[in-house]
Amino acid sequence: MSPGKRERLVSAGIDVDEALSRFLDNESLFERFLNKFLEDRNYLKLGEAIASGDNEAALAASHTLKGLCSNLSMKRLTELFTLQVKAYRAEDPDLAASMMPEISKAYDETVAAISE
Amino acid sequence: MDILRDDAAISDMILIVDDDDINRGILDNIFSQYYSIDEAENGRTGLEKILKDPDRYCAVLLDIMMPEMNGIEVLKRLRDEELTEKIPIFLITAEANNETLHEAYRLGVMDVILKPVTPYIVLRRINSIVELFRARKRLGNRVERQNEKLIESAKKIIELNKGMIEALSTAIEFRNGESGEHVRRIHDITEFLLKETELGAGMTSEEIANIALASIMHDVGKIAIPDNILGKPGRLTKEEFEIMKTHTTQGGLLLEKIPQLRDSGVYSYAYDIARHHHERWDGRGYPDGLKGDEISLWAQIVSIADVYDALSCKRVYKDAFPREKVLQMIKDGECGVFNPKLLDCFFRAEETLCKLYTA
Repeated sequence: MSPGKRERLVSAGIDVDEALSRFLDNESLFERFLNKFLEDRNYLKLGEAIASGDNEAALAASHTLKGLCSNLSMKRLTELFTLQVKAYRAEDPDLAASMMPEISKAYDETVAAISE
Repeated sequence: MDILRDDAAISDMILIVDDDDINRGILDNIFSQYYSIDEAENGRTGLEKILKDPDRYCAVLLDIMMPEMNGIEVLKRLRDEELTEKIPIFLITAEANNETLHEAYRLGVMDVILKPVTPYIVLRRINSIVELFRARKRLGNRVERQNEKLIESAKKIIELNKGMIEALSTAIEFRNGESGEHVRRIHDITEFLLKETELGAGMTSEEIANIALASIMHDVGKIAIPDNILGKPGRLTKEEFEIMKTHTTQGGLLLEKIPQLRDSGVYSYAYDIARHHHERWDGRGYPDGLKGDEISLWAQIVSIADVYDALSCKRVYKDAFPREKVLQMIKDGECGVFNPKLLDCFFRAEETLCKLYTA
């Protein structure tokens, strides 16, 4: 991994050192999974579920994203999805939905950092 | 060699059940150095894989929130099939509330591991439990094989015992010119009357086997009877007959002196039969003059079997009688007085028993 890429990932809120230790310092595996994150459809599902008012589907997608982001040490996104899941569990879907702009911003930054 | 065989049946495959392939990939990467890996992308597929071949997996890593069937439902099914006792199940989850955790432990998960996983810790926790299950299984396998061996040797010992008892009894029968067939027939007649008629009602097959084995020893007391009396072709004098009669009490005394026999389930029957197989229903038998139900059922059965066999075969003092004559003599009470119910069962069974003498 180039120092430039590492820096971009870190500034997008990814704890690269922690993530690498989870992949047993297998950098190429880590990068492969970062690319898989780009293909993951849960973020799309989350948007669709919120738009159609399907709280159950929204919770499932948000929950999966939370686990996914935490495994990839995406600290900012993990924190946001954790709060969102909490809001759904507390039966407060409006609060959960209201977090979307902030989540989208962090998500887009993360995607950009990986894709560059 | 034994250790190799113990291990042979123990799998080294972990099943990872998670709907997210990144999560599966991370766990795969951690465990694949130590285990072979199988994956399922939802609860239903995971459950089907486990049910199809439970012995294939040494551990299951289970996500909770999954499409098709969630982790808790999978766990319930595994618990119902009693598989949670055989395969350690680990929940790997991003978050779980207390209620879910309680439910999971109640259903039999071995451990709950929170995402994101830390490789060193998840490995240590899972390895130690997999090792525990393996040790338990190895031990179980070994105990099972030792049990099989024990049962096998117990069977051999029982066979050997029976052989020794037959040998002793046959050796004694040889002295008055009979083959080993007599004791074997007494055994078979006794067993048949207990198994196939109401005489054996309420007895276990073990009790019946013990009584049949005991019947073989009914005449062991004859070892104490002098040759000139035992082998005398003609009628015995009164004094000679008195001596002959002591084979019943001598039999009891002899059996009493074998400590290994005294400890076995056969002894009480053997003693009783040896001592009382010449008692009569009317109280005019020997040595104790017991009457009616004072005589045990088994002593009565061996008594009639002995008479029947003696009449049906050639003896030093007589020829074999034809079947009709044998039955007539028993009916007329020429060879002793028997319990009417016993006679009834005996005559019905005799249809089959007579085949013992035609071969």
